[in-house]
Amino acid sequence: MVQFLAQTFVNGINVGALYGLAAVGLSLIFGVMRILNVAHGEFLMVGGYIGFWLFKLYGVDPFMGLPLVGIFLFLIGIVFYKVVFSRVAKFHEEVKLKNSLLIAFGLYLIFPQIAMVLWTADERAISPKYSGQAFDLLGVRFGYVPLWNVCVAIVIVLAMYLFLNKTYFGKSLRGTAESWKAAKLSGINIEWTFMITFGLGISLAGIAGVLIALTQELTPVMGMSWTLKALIVVVLAGMGSIVGAFVAGLILGIVEAVSAIFMGPYTIAIGLLIFLIILVLRPRGLFGRA
Amino acid sequence: MLEVNHIDVYYGELKALWGVSLTLDKGEIVALIGANSSGKSTLLEAIAGLLPPTTGEILFEGVRLDKEPSHRIVEFGVCLVPEDRGIFPGMNVLENLELGAFSKRGRKEKEEILHVVYGLFPILKNRRNQLARTLSGGEQQMLAIGKGLLSRPKLLMLDEPSLGLAPLVTKNIFEAICQINQTGVSILLVEQNVHIALRVAKRAYIIENGRIVQHEQAKNLLKDRRVRQAYLGTHSA
Amino acid sequence: MPKNWKSFSIFGGIIALLALLPFFTKRSDVLTWSCLTLQYILLSQSWNIIGGYAGQVNLGHAVFFGLGALTTRYLWLAGLPFPVSLLSGAFIAAVFALLIGIPAFRLRGIYFVIGTLVLAEILKVVIDTRFPVASVLPAEMLLTYSLVPRYYLSLMGAVLAMIAVYFISHSKLGLGMMAIREDEDAAKTSGVGILQYKLIAFAISTFLAGLAGGIFAFYMVAIQPGYVFSPIWTFDSVVIVFVGGIGTLIGPIIGSVFFVLLKQWLSLHLPGGLHLAVFGVLFILVVLYMPDGFIEAIRRYGKMMTLGRKPAVQGG
Repeated sequence: MVQFLAQTFVNGINVGALYGLAAVGLSLIFGVMRILNVAHGEFLMVGGYIGFWLFKLYGVDPFMGLPLVGIFLFLIGIVFYKVVFSRVAKFHEEVKLKNSLLIAFGLYLIFPQIAMVLWTADERAISPKYSGQAFDLLGVRFGYVPLWNVCVAIVIVLAMYLFLNKTYFGKSLRGTAESWKAAKLSGINIEWTFMITFGLGISLAGIAGVLIALTQELTPVMGMSWTLKALIVVVLAGMGSIVGAFVAGLILGIVEAVSAIFMGPYTIAIGLLIFLIILVLRPRGLFGRA
Repeated sequence: MLEVNHIDVYYGELKALWGVSLTLDKGEIVALIGANSSGKSTLLEAIAGLLPPTTGEILFEGVRLDKEPSHRIVEFGVCLVPEDRGIFPGMNVLENLELGAFSKRGRKEKEEILHVVYGLFPILKNRRNQLARTLSGGEQQMLAIGKGLLSRPKLLMLDEPSLGLAPLVTKNIFEAICQINQTGVSILLVEQNVHIALRVAKRAYIIENGRIVQHEQAKNLLKDRRVRQAYLGTHSA
Repeated sequence: MPKNWKSFSIFGGIIALLALLPFFTKRSDVLTWSCLTLQYILLSQSWNIIGGYAGQVNLGHAVFFGLGALTTRYLWLAGLPFPVSLLSGAFIAAVFALLIGIPAFRLRGIYFVIGTLVLAEILKVVIDTRFPVASVLPAEMLLTYSLVPRYYLSLMGAVLAMIAVYFISHSKLGLGMMAIREDEDAAKTSGVGILQYKLIAFAISTFLAGLAGGIFAFYMVAIQPGYVFSPIWTFDSVVIVFVGGIGTLIGPIIGSVFFVLLKQWLSLHLPGGLHLAVFGVLFILVVLYMPDGFIEAIRRYGKMMTLGRKPAVQGG
């Protein structure tokens, strides 16, 4: 029994780490730019597919290929910012939020179609030779790939934390998140900051996508469900807290794993339901500030 | 050094400034006095690049500021400390000060200026790891000014530094302002506390409903009867 | 209102012509196209009420369409007279709206939008899981299936929607809704009962959406339950309203016609679902560059060309 629970716990962490990583990018973009990128999952999907291509067409090991995917999606993020979102970023709070949501909603319709053309609707996955391997510890099974995923996710979140708190540029991102006016008056180039932040957030989404593709299937329509997962995590954690987002992701993973025991196929609904309840009762989230 | 020539500025759809002109010479302290909503903050924000004027021009040392984004204006040496202080509440004192030096201009002598700021406001050194939002009003104002200094400004613009501060604290702040001026930094000061503003400033402009209505030597304005009645009569804001 | 008589009579004339359409043509493609357009008018107007006039961007609109569709479908196929089933569907949608509206409207701005999005996803998952099997019309009904009554039903639905929006926009309710849209805090201090107005607007909006769903359920031969809860219905409504002109009376009409035409044309020339991608792009363009709607932008451009000078543009 204990073993069973422990296994559930481990499974929950495995998935939760991915939730957390997916949420970090979203949280970053929203925190700094106040844009809620409802197309976050779409970029995640693209990242996953790019990783798939690198693996299938060029034999690049998915973990080795992460930096490539990261850079490529960083550039894509910058392009999208410049072409689409920068026009919205300048509006007042309410209008901007509404418009950026609508735009992201539009992207949510475009991306799956393009993905279907490029990769067909068949399910894909990245399955390197070591895919199914695992080891047992005290009766609990630890898959190599999920374990690597968790490690990579932790490393990335740690790197983000260090970046935001120990580097000058990272601090300017935090400052911008606090107050655009104060940032501008400090000599921070807001436009540039937005652009880099967006690129960074999208890059994180792409990396998460590759890790996801290692343990789950890639489909052209997976975007929205991941966006919602990331949204739930971010709202649970409170916007603007990167490490909090990751931890909240882990929590969500564990809660889902445990409730899957009782709820079967409706499990997905549980996460969403919890989210709605938290949203109504405490919009600020568990870790967030006002 | 600073020339504002006949600018019109809109705040959204409302016209806030009507053909405003102003000059400031190197090393001066110039005060801008007016009632609430007279346009004083708007003028400073226009110079700082937050609100672009629709007509007219703003020149600083011969360079046009009115078409530049705010971060470039900081590079030119013009720094605004806004009414709401422009600090980052969730970051600590040191981080705030460091970010003040973010511009290329400020980074050049960051350590030295930091030293100077700590000398001017020792309490900031004591509280350097404290979150800005936990500071008292006076300390926040000191932080705001210190942060502004870290951009190595040639012109420092201060919007209502005395706002919400007790008289003793205000006195300290203004002593610091005079010291800053003595090191060669020009000051453009917006103040509701007309008394103290006219004592430190050399010249003053009076702005009413978005228009400059008077421009005089400060000491003359102190004696001017209308000014005394309008702005110095009562001590409440 | 004497000055409106001209528009009323034009409107009435158009309805009369539309009512006579089945007598002029028996072509099923024309009737199909018209049915769809009219249904879209109903659906998009229903979103226009909550999203356009009240300014509450509801991204879960599909839920109410779906509720109306499934309720109507199952009741009707179970033997209840169709009008009863139809009204039940619309009614259920509105009741559900009121139930979730009370907690939902406590959320401001983006939280409301996210909340509706999540709600839609929850329901879609639940319905997909609980009702995986498509509902197909039984053989006897297939034999007697005719587009004509469905056409008239769609026409009535569209007219009802137009009347509803007309009355709302000229009523105290509409004023309140628009006040909330413009500035909720100011509206509150002016004494507008915020929650009340939002709930009423939401109820009307979702009733009409449920009605649209019910009409759709009557119109379609086979329905996959999850399909009527698909976010595509929300997106279509939102796109139509934006393209045609948000918060206007005739916007959804223009938008619907344009939308259905473009959709038909595109799906002929583009493979698979790519026409959706095109709509996505168009939608984004409209949001970015034409906040008053695509049609309005064309109108202004046209005016600008003929008058030879730029239209006045307000700063800010």
